[in-house]
Amino acid sequence: MRREIPLVITFVVGMIVLLARIFTAADGGEFILAKWAGELTDWVIIVSAFAVGLASVNLFRIHGDIVARKRPGWINSLTLLAAIVVFAVIGIAARFGAGPFFSELNQNLYDSIISPLGAAMFAILAFYIASAAYRAFRMRNLEASVMLFAAILVMLGRAPVGELIWNQFPSIANWLVDIPNTVGQRAIMIGAAIGGFATSLRILLGIERGHLGGVE
Amino acid sequence: MDWKKLQNIDRRIIYILLILATAVPMIRPLAIPLSTGPSVHKFYQIMDAIPAGEKVLFSLDYAPSGAPDVHPQALAVMKHMMNKGVGVVFISFWEAGPMFGEQLIRAYEEQGYEYGVHFANLGYVPGGESAIKRFGEDVAGQVSRDFRNNPVSSLPIMQGIKDTRDFAAVICFSAGNPGVQEWVRQVQGPLGINLLAGAVTVSVPQYMPYVDAGQVKAMLAGLRGAAEYETVSGNPGPSVAKMDAQSLGHLIIIAFIIVGNIAFFMDKKKQ
Amino acid sequence: MTIMAGRVTFLFTVLIMGAIVLIGVNMSQAGKWTPKIRRLAGLDAVEEAVGRATEMGAPVHFSPGIGNISDDSAPQTFAGLEVLAYVTELTAKYNTEIIVTIRQPNVFPLAQEIVRQSYLAAGRPDMFQEDTVQFLSSEQFAYAAGVMGIMNRRRIAANLMMGAFWAESLLFAEAGAQVGAIQVAGTAAMAQLPFFVAACDYTLIGEELYAAGAYLSQDKVKLGSIGSQDIVKGITMVIILVGSLLATADITIIKDLLSK
Repeated sequence: MRREIPLVITFVVGMIVLLARIFTAADGGEFILAKWAGELTDWVIIVSAFAVGLASVNLFRIHGDIVARKRPGWINSLTLLAAIVVFAVIGIAARFGAGPFFSELNQNLYDSIISPLGAAMFAILAFYIASAAYRAFRMRNLEASVMLFAAILVMLGRAPVGELIWNQFPSIANWLVDIPNTVGQRAIMIGAAIGGFATSLRILLGIERGHLGGVE
Repeated sequence: MDWKKLQNIDRRIIYILLILATAVPMIRPLAIPLSTGPSVHKFYQIMDAIPAGEKVLFSLDYAPSGAPDVHPQALAVMKHMMNKGVGVVFISFWEAGPMFGEQLIRAYEEQGYEYGVHFANLGYVPGGESAIKRFGEDVAGQVSRDFRNNPVSSLPIMQGIKDTRDFAAVICFSAGNPGVQEWVRQVQGPLGINLLAGAVTVSVPQYMPYVDAGQVKAMLAGLRGAAEYETVSGNPGPSVAKMDAQSLGHLIIIAFIIVGNIAFFMDKKKQ
Repeated sequence: MTIMAGRVTFLFTVLIMGAIVLIGVNMSQAGKWTPKIRRLAGLDAVEEAVGRATEMGAPVHFSPGIGNISDDSAPQTFAGLEVLAYVTELTAKYNTEIIVTIRQPNVFPLAQEIVRQSYLAAGRPDMFQEDTVQFLSSEQFAYAAGVMGIMNRRRIAANLMMGAFWAESLLFAEAGAQVGAIQVAGTAAMAQLPFFVAACDYTLIGEELYAAGAYLSQDKVKLGSIGSQDIVKGITMVIILVGSLLATADITIIKDLLSK
């Protein structure tokens, strides 16, 4: 039963949502399947909210244990737990109208801590791209050479300095992105969509059970 | 010459040179001229054709990480809309989105624009793709209170808005998923809304098929898209200056790739 | 009940594709047709990576990507989770620690259950610890920072990334390269493939990830499904080719049919 119940739920819910995308009421009135599909979509949102709670419990247990046992790096775990509590309390207070003090504090915490931290993480990408490109882009064979030249042309075409060097770089970059790239993207998209469809069908019909854990 | 060494330059040297190449033009802009492409012109024309008094929806689907590339686009389009007298409503399917909505609003509130009349921030709706679908079909049904905890029905700007077709345009500023693809699949396809996109640069190739198919009417690509929009709308701003940093950054990366390849070939020749 | 306007082709596509996949699955199950999957070096390397971690006495890191199970990245996430079951059993066999990091709260209970059950199946339930599967953050770059921290602090020897990835792909791959880990990645996220190819030892590209579960388990049902996918793909290619040629000659019969 532990496996059958989730499989039945998956099948029923999946069919309702699928059929609601294809059929409608003959008289143009309210279609019961569409109504159910809407309700079920709302349930997904609610269940997702519970999953956040469940995951947070895991976070608290792991890091609470590190702090309690004073394992190496416990101060980081303590900072994490404190940050979760502080941000949650201020966020909830701001959201539920505890006054302009909390709204402003919430916005300031966001602008001065989360925003620069996130931007800093993203900025690391520029450095990693530089080191990875330097290491990987070698003209070892024909394919690698084509990729290398395409990358250089797009980089020159996308930055204003490229145009300063030669005014045709942007057109070449646009052509590369619009034509060969779009062709490849479409092919991968169609292939991945078919793969996704077959995987979804296997899950809907209960043929695929790997995600339920254990050996099939 | 030690070609082997040149093939394995310490990554810290690369990082330092890249920092210098991007930081110097931020302090002393080089003012490299910027041309504008057809996609940005199309985007501008669509937005410019929206009559005053109409409303547009900004779906702010990005976080601080992608913001340096996407937020300037929202800033540029917001400025254009405010100058034209078009109302802007914000929604987000990323937790961080509403904060960017507030950032966009605050500058105009200080200038005397009124919250609820010229703009409104509907906040964050959890649930990813499912939430986009539900919101697209039934705006008021999904969001009863805005980010500032006002009942949505009390906001003048929201009067007459039932579903997303009631907006003159929907612009999804997106740094990933949920974002443009979900809007196309769940709302543009079934309802046929007037959808435009502002995309983080790395996602642009992925979204091109939607632009070519007409599902996305026009797209701004990364920081350059924002800089071009500022130029086209006659308000050159901060994004244009940042493009100099991008130019030098690209040149540094290209230089290292060339050095690596010369060393690779010379080493092979030696052997 | 009636079919919505513009959904007739959609309905028939679902029915025909579904029928082809089901027939393929049944034929494979009955032993009448056994599709073969070509050698996938990336998957063969997984055991080598776990073996190396064992020799070095360092842990294996596994990420099922940052995609969810309720959107279009779900098939990639499920494919990643299938590989997770296989990798967990391998680590149990070699008695090596595995650290699974999670970004999506929805994926967390699934991953936890898969690891627990796989240890059980391998006869090593004692290996499952509270921090074997860790939820780090639902914020993309906070998760990325957490993963990079774990890679550096624990000096992981193998880094396996299977699922849907976005901008954090290169952060993981470069952080893994910096600690000298053997890296195998698999994703259908087109924009991230170049980064993985550039920085990892092996990469599963697009559909290879979907084939991973079938390849590793050699399960007849899954093999049948993968084989049927290729038949559907062949039909799609013919429709695209004929449709494009006809449209070029101003004959829009296929285009009209597809938009019905």
